[in-house]
Amino acid sequence: MAEKTITIKATRFDPDKDAAPHLQSYDIPFADDSMVVLDALNYIKAHVDGSLSYRWSCRMGICGSCGMMVNGTPKLSCSAFLRDYWPKPVTVQPLNNFPIIRDLVIDMEDFMHKLKTIQPWIIRKQEIPLGAGEHRQTNAQIDEFRQFSQCINCMLCYSACPVYGLNNEFLGPAAIALARRYNLDSRDEGLTKRLPVIAESEGVWECSFVGECSVVCPKGVDPAKAIQQTKLDTTLRFTLPFGNRD
Amino acid sequence: MASAEPRSYRWSMPANWWTRNRRYFFYVVREFTALPMALWLLWLLYDIKGAGSGAAGFQPPRSAAFVAFSAVCFLFATYHSYTFLKLAGVIIHLRVMDKTVPPRVIVLTMFGLWAVASIVIGAVLIGFAR
Repeated sequence: MAEKTITIKATRFDPDKDAAPHLQSYDIPFADDSMVVLDALNYIKAHVDGSLSYRWSCRMGICGSCGMMVNGTPKLSCSAFLRDYWPKPVTVQPLNNFPIIRDLVIDMEDFMHKLKTIQPWIIRKQEIPLGAGEHRQTNAQIDEFRQFSQCINCMLCYSACPVYGLNNEFLGPAAIALARRYNLDSRDEGLTKRLPVIAESEGVWECSFVGECSVVCPKGVDPAKAIQQTKLDTTLRFTLPFGNRD
Repeated sequence: MASAEPRSYRWSMPANWWTRNRRYFFYVVREFTALPMALWLLWLLYDIKGAGSGAAGFQPPRSAAFVAFSAVCFLFATYHSYTFLKLAGVIIHLRVMDKTVPPRVIVLTMFGLWAVASIVIGAVLIGFAR
């Protein structure tokens, strides 16, 4: 019996040779139903074409390194099963909305810069001395921000966001979701330091609520919710008496 | 010697991006519905301005084309309101008696208020017309 195979069409782009990216087809064995797109890429790299470049690390949907467009949809390639596509070919492309460095590798510098601007860490006006003990939180206080803390910076939300695709000055879904994660944290006192970044026109107000960021998130984070709730909060701070209190 | 900046391929959004995904398409439809509604409201403001100079100045358009346009605007307004209110549960985060109000309750409340507001406005307009 002939060996079962699947066709992988992967983007190839060599900045030293190519003017634009193009697709290259590979027929690879598909013997195991548990194979994911990342396994297929690893097979190609190991047995067919060692020059194929892509990012990956954990293979279990935790590190967020292997985000790619799989048949036009942003996905973690370690979580996209080939059985869901076979016998049709699988087209693997770099994440939309980002410059392409080589093959399936994107340039994330823009996001890394934006991430720093929202100061994604706990800011205290005055640190409590270690001897005073822990910052205690109730379960309800943790539930306020828990889902936003699940973000793994995989960039799928930026890739799915047409607003970011049309205007990459937009702060973007993951950065705003992380800003909200810290703003909702009862231990944090840095809201007024983040507001100048998140409440400006290229911050939450650039978002027109497409909602696709929340659909593609592999960790169940709802960045669209974070953005809309931040819009409401900042509006109330601006309009209500004493709204601008810390 | 400083090395040259590595060259990358700049990705650009295709003009037909909104046709490539069903949700993108309905998002664009949702946003587009605001445009005819804005035109209709501008016309309404023009009518109100005319009515300010007396009954003779109030000449609302009665052509079949305008009635058809108004019917389309009504459908657009209904669709826009429905999509907006459906998302209220995502936007509004309420805590009552130290418990988070479920998004479903918020959405149903918003639809209830929408129905009440529509009935009240309809009754007022019909009352004035009589």
